[in-house]
Amino acid sequence: MTALADNSSELLVRFSRRSMAAMLVIVPGLGAMALAMTLWPEGAASRFMAQAAWVYPIAIVFLGAALRATLRGKSWDPRSPDAKAILNDELRQHSLNRSSRAALIAVLVAQIPLALLFGTLPQASAIRTALAMAEASIILGTAIFIALVLFLDRE
Amino acid sequence: MNDEGLRNTLKVQRAMRDLTQADLAALAGVTRKSVNAIEAGRMTPSVLLALKLSRALGVSIETLFHLDGGPEPAKT
Repeated sequence: MTALADNSSELLVRFSRRSMAAMLVIVPGLGAMALAMTLWPEGAASRFMAQAAWVYPIAIVFLGAALRATLRGKSWDPRSPDAKAILNDELRQHSLNRSSRAALIAVLVAQIPLALLFGTLPQASAIRTALAMAEASIILGTAIFIALVLFLDRE
Repeated sequence: MNDEGLRNTLKVQRAMRDLTQADLAALAGVTRKSVNAIEAGRMTPSVLLALKLSRALGVSIETLFHLDGGPEPAKT
């Protein structure tokens, strides 16, 4: 009977989790740099980002290719039965729903600490402070969402 | 997630048919993680998924799932 359940479904599940884990690294990393550029446009981080801006798309493409290589020749076709089983999986749906609710609550709760934090920064204009708060909220919400999905959708 | 005391005989029924979690998942069109979560009582499946599982195993839904303290599931 084990021939029936080949490991293609497991490969796709692992691919999905690895992709989300990669996103969990990329989003806060790029977000932190964007935040630094917003708050300190003349700072060292902004200069570094401006000089090495071409590196990031290439790094992301390489990371994507490395992730695809873990599929061992299989492709992610959303219409395939394996992919449908993963996308419509109830445990995954539960995890996505609970994670999105938790991420929204976390973002709402974080607004006051973020306002206090960014409000105390010297040499930051009101528009930059507002922009930084928006960026920080997006980073926080996305990171919490992905981390919770990975945690709740575990074995 | 299993506050109302839903119990299941999924593991027993699967073992009786010499099926792995992955085999049952493939038969029911779900992932192995869902089968694992249901067996462990960490997840209460929807009616649709419960019906898919009972059909995949060829037993009635009452054989697979019963309430804690309720009548014993029918032997199949």
